[in-house]
Amino acid sequence: MHSIRHTYFYQQSPAEVWAYLTESELLAQWLMPNDFRAEAGHEFTFRTRPMPAFGFDGIVYCKVVEIVPHKRLAYTWKGGPGPGEITLDTLVEWELREKDHGTELLLRHSGFQERNSMMFGIMDGGWLKNMGEIADLLNKAKV
Amino acid sequence: MTPDIFQAIADPSRREILHLLSHQTLTINELAENFDMSRPAVSKHVKVLSQSGFITIRDIGRERYCLLSQEGFQQLQAWVSYFDKFWQHKLKKLETVLNNKSNPA
Repeated sequence: MHSIRHTYFYQQSPAEVWAYLTESELLAQWLMPNDFRAEAGHEFTFRTRPMPAFGFDGIVYCKVVEIVPHKRLAYTWKGGPGPGEITLDTLVEWELREKDHGTELLLRHSGFQERNSMMFGIMDGGWLKNMGEIADLLNKAKV
Repeated sequence: MTPDIFQAIADPSRREILHLLSHQTLTINELAENFDMSRPAVSKHVKVLSQSGFITIRDIGRERYCLLSQEGFQQLQAWVSYFDKFWQHKLKKLETVLNNKSNPA
């Protein structure tokens, strides 16, 4: 899986859901403490617990890349083990659609593959190929 | 301390090493031929990749062979799985927050 997608339905209107995606205090109520502002180009952070096992210091560095009121929102989502060290470079996109007097919210979290596309390629084919080769080498070494 | 997988693959030389090993198993000397850096420098990268679970080093005959290992790649998947669950949880929380707001108890 190279990107994450989720669709969720809310009974509230797109305008109400939008407020919870774009007003800092409302966003903090369900996501994470942040200094978000609804402006293209605005740089902000989300703060959460560090996860050393993942090489993540608990700060998500973001930048608003797209904003269409009540419809679309996208920001970069970067993180790493410490200041200035970015090892996770991804994109979070939100899309709101009015549906059945409520809102269908689509989330896409992508970019895992951009940095690591080669990794996924290796995982698919390289591993088995290597196992075959090492078996050949072991056989040769015995002779 | 074990280097984490993301630090391990953040370095272009180490990614190149993995790329080369995805085509064929190589000795450290053979790997070093592909780089301008010294053999000890290549060895150091190999060590980081080995400690983070991306490659395994095996002595076969007189040679030290580097081969890809599955462990590191599975951890990478774990990172994606982590965020998948994270968002599921957060989207549900948003629902709770929105409903509490509309229908104050």
